Amino acid sequence: MVIFKAVSKHYNGHIAVKNLNLNVKEGEFVTLIGPSGCGKTTTLKMVNRLVEPTEGDILINGRNIRDTDPVALRRQIGYVIQQIGLFPHMTVEENITVVPTLLEWPATKRRARGHELLDMAGMDPVIYANRYPSELSGGQQQRIGVLRALAADPPLILMDEPFGALDPISREVLQDELKSLQKRLHKTIIFVTHDMDEALKLADRVVVMREGEVIQEATPEELLRKPADDFVASFVGKSRRNDSKLLIVEQVMQPNPVTVLPSVGLAQCLTLMKRKRVDTVLVVDEEGVLIGGVSIETLDREHQRAYRIGEIADHNLVTVLNSTPAKDAFDLMVGDQLKYLPVVDEHRHLRGLVTRTSMVNAMASVVWGDEND
Amino acid sequence: MYNIWILTVQHLGLTLAGVGLAILIGVPIGYLITGNRWVAQLVMGFTDMMQTIPALALLALLMLWMGLGDTPLVVALLMYSLLPIVRNSYVGIMGIDGALIEAAKGMGMTRWQLLRMVQLPIALPVIMSGVRVATVTAIGIAAIGVLIGAGGLGAPIWRGMQQMNTAMILSGAVPAALLAVASDAGLSKLEQAITPRGFRNIASQNT
Repeated sequence: MVIFKAVSKHYNGHIAVKNLNLNVKEGEFVTLIGPSGCGKTTTLKMVNRLVEPTEGDILINGRNIRDTDPVALRRQIGYVIQQIGLFPHMTVEENITVVPTLLEWPATKRRARGHELLDMAGMDPVIYANRYPSELSGGQQQRIGVLRALAADPPLILMDEPFGALDPISREVLQDELKSLQKRLHKTIIFVTHDMDEALKLADRVVVMREGEVIQEATPEELLRKPADDFVASFVGKSRRNDSKLLIVEQVMQPNPVTVLPSVGLAQCLTLMKRKRVDTVLVVDEEGVLIGGVSIETLDREHQRAYRIGEIADHNLVTVLNSTPAKDAFDLMVGDQLKYLPVVDEHRHLRGLVTRTSMVNAMASVVWGDEND
Repeated sequence: MYNIWILTVQHLGLTLAGVGLAILIGVPIGYLITGNRWVAQLVMGFTDMMQTIPALALLALLMLWMGLGDTPLVVALLMYSLLPIVRNSYVGIMGIDGALIEAAKGMGMTRWQLLRMVQLPIALPVIMSGVRVATVTAIGIAAIGVLIGAGGLGAPIWRGMQQMNTAMILSGAVPAALLAVASDAGLSKLEQAITPRGFRNIASQNT
């Protein structure tokens, strides 16, 4: 359906896409994936001539797109962008039917099509047709963005990181909807993303790009089993690890908690806590074996009676093994209202500490990805 | 004695002629210069400069060239109105989110359709606030048109000043002031009315 023949794109000496050959079959869902600047968006935009290739040809249904007027070409291709780009001064219905309007469909047919699409997306036309984009949630807006691309029933749809700006829940929902939509309507979709999970979930075929070149072109299954090189492997691997179910306590704990020996005096311990700005210390022996914990409240209550930390340490701490799934540890903390959870290995050696902060950090990295991705 | 009603209508007519021509010329200029930042700077520098010429001096110069009467006044009003209209058209169109333009192009809008369906409707509230500023300024400047033989409410003001006739001055000055206040209020209502419902929050943030 779409054939790239030795396509290259140069921008003043910088090569964005280098000798790209790709054959997208009819009804196929192809994702282009790679780090930013790998040329995936440029590749996509060359299909609807928002970007003109420097060299090579692109054929759609056997016809060179250079021979098609760009405006006519774009009206036959659906286009969805990350920033959604709904027109704020138009109602939902007007937004959906922009391309039919450009194609000069009669008003009644446009209206019917708009309502049909809203129904298909599970959005009641009576409620939504006359709303404005600013009155919709982000997920609903992009749902309209997708419907808008489908309005004139184009066989080919280009999507440029369409769900990248959505919250994780809306993203999941829209991915599922898109996948079932594509199966049902038998559209050919070229989908750009930098999210490997998304690519693996949606694609019939994943095209991994780096520095303007195709590194690997494979089904999701093949990609997971036989990544072409270390780059692909790490790209696939990173996304796999980024999964809350697989995280273990070791990965989310704080590795160097504040500890004291049982022989330490109370005043000395208090000074240490003040300096480290903590309200709890863990008591370990010389071997690093966890004995107990002391909170500032205990310290305050007992400072008249005791001299050594060992005398007042709470020996009945709830602990977890370092190989416990992080989720179980979090459930335990939430369920038992624990402020902290020491992490030990099989020999009760202290390995680290899980606090509510580590819980938040772990959830954040799952939700938004690691900062250094 | 002067017929204040006729003079008020004349005054308004001269103002509308000047501002109307400025819209016809200024909005297309504001749109055309969005294509090139350098040209935009140049054009806006020029319209800026025109505003700095004192109104009386500009009228005198235009009178030397075009003679006495309404024509040089309308031209002067046009020149004064250009700056806010060109500037607001430019700013209004340039301020549109690039994603909207990309989406519009990607769906197959021609340049003209992009302008008519997207750029103008979104920039319209901003352009209208330029028109409002231009109109209020023009009503003030039209009052000195009497010095080059133009009509309007300047005549009783000027004559009253020469005769030390307070009542005559007020008979021109009060309607001129009311005209300015009324057009400001009316145009601001119009500005709100042409701002589409879905866009109201966003538009008020941009202006």
